[in-house]
Amino acid sequence: MKETFTKSMARNIYYGGSMFFLLVFIGLTYDTHQEIPKRDNHEAINEVVALGKRVWEENNCIGCHTLLGEGAYFAPELGNVYTRFGESTEALKGFIKSRPVEGIPGRRSMPQFNLSEEELEGIAEFLKYVDGIETARDWPPNIQG
Amino acid sequence: MNHTDKNIVQYKPLPGDFAIWVFIFAELLVFGILFISYAFTRKYNLELFNHHQQFLDRETGAINTVLLITSSYFVVRAVDAIKKNMSQQSARWLALGLLCGAAFVVFKILEFNEKFSEGITLSTNIFYMFYLCLTGFHFMHVLLGMVILAFILVKTHRRKYNADDHDGVETGASYWHMVDLVWIILFPLVYIIR
Amino acid sequence: MKYQSQLVAQKYFIAALSLFLGQILFGVIMGMQYVVGDFLFPEIPFNIARMVHTNLLIVWLLFAFMGASYYLVPEESERELYSPALANLMFWIFLVAGALTVLGYLLFTYSELAALTFNELWPTMGREFLEQPTITKVGIVIVALAFVFNIGMTILTGRKTVVSLVLLTGLVGLAVFFLFAFYNPVNVVLDKYWWWWVVHLWVEGVWELILGAILAFVLIKVTGVDREVIEKWLYIIIAMTLITGIIGTGHHYFWIGTPDYWQWLGSIFSAMEPIPFFMMTLFAFNMVNKRRRDHPNKAAVLWALGTAVMAFLGAGVWGFMHTLAPINYYTHGTQITAAHGHMAFYGAYVMISLTMISYSMPIMRGKVANSQAAQTLEMWSFWLMTVSMVFITLFLTAAGILQVYLQRFTDTPITFMQAQEKIEIFYWLREVSGIVFLIGLIVYFISFFVKGEEPQGVEA
Repeated sequence: MKETFTKSMARNIYYGGSMFFLLVFIGLTYDTHQEIPKRDNHEAINEVVALGKRVWEENNCIGCHTLLGEGAYFAPELGNVYTRFGESTEALKGFIKSRPVEGIPGRRSMPQFNLSEEELEGIAEFLKYVDGIETARDWPPNIQG
Repeated sequence: MNHTDKNIVQYKPLPGDFAIWVFIFAELLVFGILFISYAFTRKYNLELFNHHQQFLDRETGAINTVLLITSSYFVVRAVDAIKKNMSQQSARWLALGLLCGAAFVVFKILEFNEKFSEGITLSTNIFYMFYLCLTGFHFMHVLLGMVILAFILVKTHRRKYNADDHDGVETGASYWHMVDLVWIILFPLVYIIR
Repeated sequence: MKYQSQLVAQKYFIAALSLFLGQILFGVIMGMQYVVGDFLFPEIPFNIARMVHTNLLIVWLLFAFMGASYYLVPEESERELYSPALANLMFWIFLVAGALTVLGYLLFTYSELAALTFNELWPTMGREFLEQPTITKVGIVIVALAFVFNIGMTILTGRKTVVSLVLLTGLVGLAVFFLFAFYNPVNVVLDKYWWWWVVHLWVEGVWELILGAILAFVLIKVTGVDREVIEKWLYIIIAMTLITGIIGTGHHYFWIGTPDYWQWLGSIFSAMEPIPFFMMTLFAFNMVNKRRRDHPNKAAVLWALGTAVMAFLGAGVWGFMHTLAPINYYTHGTQITAAHGHMAFYGAYVMISLTMISYSMPIMRGKVANSQAAQTLEMWSFWLMTVSMVFITLFLTAAGILQVYLQRFTDTPITFMQAQEKIEIFYWLREVSGIVFLIGLIVYFISFFVKGEEPQGVEA
């Protein structure tokens, strides 16, 4: 019987198909990087925001919260928290500062991170910057995140 | 089919290697979904689509359609030739098919160049998003198809195929016809239907 | 066992399973924190528990993949491992680095750990799944490179089979894509764009090659079906995986500040990602039905079939459920994602690891398969873990649907925390299922120590 499904053809499709789609993906990645600057709010990035991102990372905020939908699902979305807190960095700082050290009995509570005033300013400015990113369809769907 | 031996019925539903058909079906699925998405999106953005559609280059589109259909014809002749053990004729037909494909690519590059110089990108609007996705993705397939045809051309030229063993030619031809088929649907859908 | 150096896999598997237990224990802790918010607070805050849970998962799966490679490659290549000494050395380096990192998570606050490991020199910490200190990441790269070198040399100087070559491309891809973990710009859109090159291109790309290769190897061994047939399937399945999965990355580029066209491309391509998983299910059942012999290790066959089915359900069906942009607009970053994540990781990667362990451990312990009693117990653990994982997924899905409705879909949305309280019952049910899973895992461990008359047979 003649072989109608050969291993060498299957192999060609594996290598050829993957390379083909990898190239398409790289092309799209290039195009995306041309478009991102139009909507990524990079004008807002400065030293304070950069420090804020470090504070964000070095306290593992993503371990409870989502940021633009990515992260853990234990605590509220923060991609639009600046809007939710009435566009007030002071309100954000006040909330973070006031977390009780021993938590709240029976309830989820954000830890007290003992951030310095500079770090507080940074994290608040960072969240403000992220809120300014122009996401598709203005995600998250509503103010609650 | 071998007519001297009527007891053996050779039934082969798909020409070429089955593996390419898995790939072809997957590709047709992608294009099919894209076409349907185009149709629905157009329905809700009729004015926008009709407005921008008139700026597309229908003339080169028509020439390109003729080119691809012609090249498919050449590829059919190539398969025919190899079935008769005429590998050099087959190679010549393949070369002609490849030439038509190359002409398609040249016209397409000119068309894209014009659009890009007008500053049109995937993000200009939903019509151009579909236009560039569909034609761009198809364009990549023409290139891939040409690589496959070139590969087969070389092998045919070196007499690696013959009347009994020409699955490779049929496999490449099947893929090329798929690329052609997609364009035959794409061209009227995006360029013509108003 | 045909080659002495395959034995190195044993310690990798033992380490993997120990870390697996740790992962589940922290999972149960987190499940509790979902309903009793101050459970173990402030000693083990949720973010720490979650980091330990997910990082242990990644590390133990890597241990299992490495063990599987060390077992499979000599047999496929028909030669001893290029360097068993290097494999042993890397085992200890990886284990110590992994243990130190987890201890670091638990003994220090995360910011102390960041300071202690000089994160400021090259900040890479604090991003989901990539929380490891930069120095640990460097360690992972070194271990991965040494491992790929060792495996690569064995494969390239021995018999080259499709299984081993596919495995090798998967492992090389794993090492290469991890390098994007070192790129961490301040720009959040760029950060997220490239972060997915590690996360998506791992679990929905190259890891599936590793999965396919291991599954093909075990199926060749336990069914006796012609290698040619299995290898063709393997090629076609992984071809479909990459054809759909590479641009399928776009389903993560819907709402992070990337252009709108990703909603179309991501939806279309990722909607096709279930196809290779479905083919894998057909493949596994087909091969077992066409088997040329009845392998005495029934438990391994069960795990292999279970992998195919659960990977299709978890990665395929549950992934498809929320992959279309109009749906994902509402479900993105909710318990729906958690539901999918749990069943996909269990069905695809946990189960393929346990398949390989189930097949190879008895052989490395000098018998073709475990005793009937041990296998029966192992099958019990299979059903306990698998069914409880199905329930975890169902409860999280229910929680997610309610969360989406209450918090995002209704005309009168309530806050995140209010919604969480309203869906608490599902978190309780999930926690109960989680405890059943833990029991299943303990039963699994016990099955290793059950004695009995071992089946006679020739080793494949």
